[in-house]
Amino acid sequence: MKVVIVGNGIAGNEVASYLREHGKDKDIDITILSAEKFPEYDPCSLPYFVGGEVDRNVVFRKSLDHYKKNRINLVLDNKAVSIDSNAKKVTTEKGDVFPYDSLVLAHGGSLFIPPIPGVNLDGVLSCKVLAEADKLARHKGTKAVVIGSGAIGIEAAEALKLKGYQVTIIELLDWIMPTLFCEGAARFLEDEMRGYGIEVYTSEKVLSIQGDGSVESVKTDKRVIPCDTVVIATGVVPGRPLAETAGVACDRGVLVNDQMLTNVDDIYACGDCVQTYDACTGEGCMYQLKHNAIEQARIVARNILGEKAQYRGAYPFARAHYFDTHAVTFGKTMKGAERICTLDQVEVLERSTINGYLRLLLKEGKIIGGQAIGKMADYAGLLMGCMWRGEDLHEFIENWPKIAELDSPYPWQARKLGQLLGLSSLDAKPGKGLERVYAILK
Amino acid sequence: MALKEEKVLVIDPDKCTGCHSCEMACSIKHFGKCHSYFSRIRIQEFRDVNTFIPVTCQACEDAPCLKVCPMNARVRLESGAVVTDEDKCIGCRACIYSCPFGAPVINPDNGKTMSCDLCMDDPIGPWCVKACTMQQAIKFVRAQDAARAKGRDMAKLLAEDYMPPKQEEGDFGFSFSV
Repeated sequence: MKVVIVGNGIAGNEVASYLREHGKDKDIDITILSAEKFPEYDPCSLPYFVGGEVDRNVVFRKSLDHYKKNRINLVLDNKAVSIDSNAKKVTTEKGDVFPYDSLVLAHGGSLFIPPIPGVNLDGVLSCKVLAEADKLARHKGTKAVVIGSGAIGIEAAEALKLKGYQVTIIELLDWIMPTLFCEGAARFLEDEMRGYGIEVYTSEKVLSIQGDGSVESVKTDKRVIPCDTVVIATGVVPGRPLAETAGVACDRGVLVNDQMLTNVDDIYACGDCVQTYDACTGEGCMYQLKHNAIEQARIVARNILGEKAQYRGAYPFARAHYFDTHAVTFGKTMKGAERICTLDQVEVLERSTINGYLRLLLKEGKIIGGQAIGKMADYAGLLMGCMWRGEDLHEFIENWPKIAELDSPYPWQARKLGQLLGLSSLDAKPGKGLERVYAILK
Repeated sequence: MALKEEKVLVIDPDKCTGCHSCEMACSIKHFGKCHSYFSRIRIQEFRDVNTFIPVTCQACEDAPCLKVCPMNARVRLESGAVVTDEDKCIGCRACIYSCPFGAPVINPDNGKTMSCDLCMDDPIGPWCVKACTMQQAIKFVRAQDAARAKGRDMAKLLAEDYMPPKQEEGDFGFSFSV
C-alpha cells in the first residue's frame, strides 16, 4: 500500500509514525512531500528559539536519521502542486510524480500577508516557518513593530523584547488576542503587557510600511511608528489550492467527514488545513491548534489501516504566556458564542480574587467556554472536564450543600470546583461523619 | 503502551490523614530539600471536612499534556511515567492547564514544570509510598491490579447506588482517579 502525505508538519508526521507503529504487519510505503528544507519541527516553539530561550535543535521533533530508520521516504524542498484523483497521482513543482493508494493532505496553512504597501521591504519578517524564524533570529535591530496580536504575535513580541528590542504591538480589533479572550481578560493581559514595557495599540489599522529598501516606519490610521523590524502575525490561511486541483470540496478550509475523509475517495485531510466540527457544540470550525492536528492525524492513520475510527471533533484550548503572566482559555469566547446562540442566552460567571481571575461562559447552565489568569488557571482541566461532560453548573450550585458535606460521595474534583466558584463549605449540611461525632460526644 | 510489568501509583484518599510525609519524601528524594513546594505529589486539603487527597501525575494513557506542550517537553518514559524534559520546557504551564487533575507542578527553582517520575532510578521504588507505609494511602501496584481494583470499585459504586464504598481490610478502597 502506498501512502503519500503532503506536508511535513505535526499532522503529517503523526500520520506517518502512527502507520509505522500500528501497521507493522502491513507493507506500507510512506512518502512525505515537504515544501520546506527541514525535518519535522514544531512551529509552536519557534518564538522561544527566536527569543533565545532554547537552542535551535530543540525545535526539531525528528532528525533525518529517524525518517531513514522508520523507512519513511522524505522528499524535501519539493512542493506538491496538483493532484489527479482519477489516476491517483500527485505532481510536484519539480515535475516528480508520486502515485498513491491513500493520500493525506496535511500541508497546513500559510501566513496571511495583509494587502498593504511595503510588505516586501527588507526587515519585514514573520515567525510562522523555520526559514523565516531563522531570519528573525539573525536579524539585528532595535525597534520592532508586531502586526497582529494572536498567539504567534504575542509570543514573537515577547521573544523580541527578550532580545532587547523596543516592541510595539498593533491590533486591528478592539483587544489583544481577540479570538482567544473576552474583553475583560484581554484588557488585563494588555495592561500586563504594557507593564513589561511592550507598547500595545488596539483598534488601529496599519496603512502602510514605509521605507526605502528597508523598513523605516509603520504608518497606522492614528500615528507613525519609527522602526527597523516588522513582524507579521496576522493569522494563518488554510492551504486550499492544492485540494481544489483534485476537486476536493472546500469552504474556509478543506471539508472532511467524521473519518477525516474528503469528498474524493482515498483523499484524507488533517491538521491546520481542515475545517471540522466543534466537539462540544457541533458547528463547523477551524481551530488551528496542535492537539487537534495530532488527534485528527491519528484518526486518519487508523482509517487508512482499515479501522472505522470516528473523530470526536476539535476543541479550542490555548495558553497565553509571556514573562510572568500565565493565562488559559478554552471553549468559546463571547465572540465565538455568537456563532451558536444569541448573546442573551449566554450567562457569564466572573470571579476575581487574590489568586487570579476566572471567567466562565454558560449556556443553559452548561459551560461552553472559560478563561482564567494566574493561579486560578491551574485547575482549568477540571472546568474543561465539566464542559466535556456537559455538567449543569446550576444543578451543581443547587447540590452544593450535599457535595460539600462531610461524607459526600462526590470526587474531590467537585469540591475543588466549588472552591474555584467561590462556594462556601459553611453551606454544607452536616454529613454522616459529623453525626457520628455527635453520637460519640453523647 | 505495553502492560508488561508497568506499575502505577494507586491512591486511596480515605486513608490519607494529611500528614504531608509523601511530599517531604518526594522533595528530599529529588532536591534534598524538605518543602512541599519542591514535591511532585501534592495534597489537596479540604480542612473543613477533614479530607486530604494526595494528587500526583496519573500518566494517562492518552495524556493531554503530551499533545498540548508547545516545546514537546513532556515525554513518556519507558516505565510509563510522563515527565518534563527541563532542557526544553519554557514554563508556559500548558501541561498544568490541560491536566484533568492539575497534577504537574512548578519547580520553584526554575519555573519549569515537573511531575512524578515514579522514582525509577531508585531500586526501593517511589519514596512517597515508603513514606506512607503507616497509612497505606499510596500504593505502588502492577497496572493490571490497579485496573482490577478500580473496576471492582466501580462495580461496588453501581451496586450501592453511588454511595461511598465500605472499607474492607486489604482492599484498595475507592480511588477517584478513574
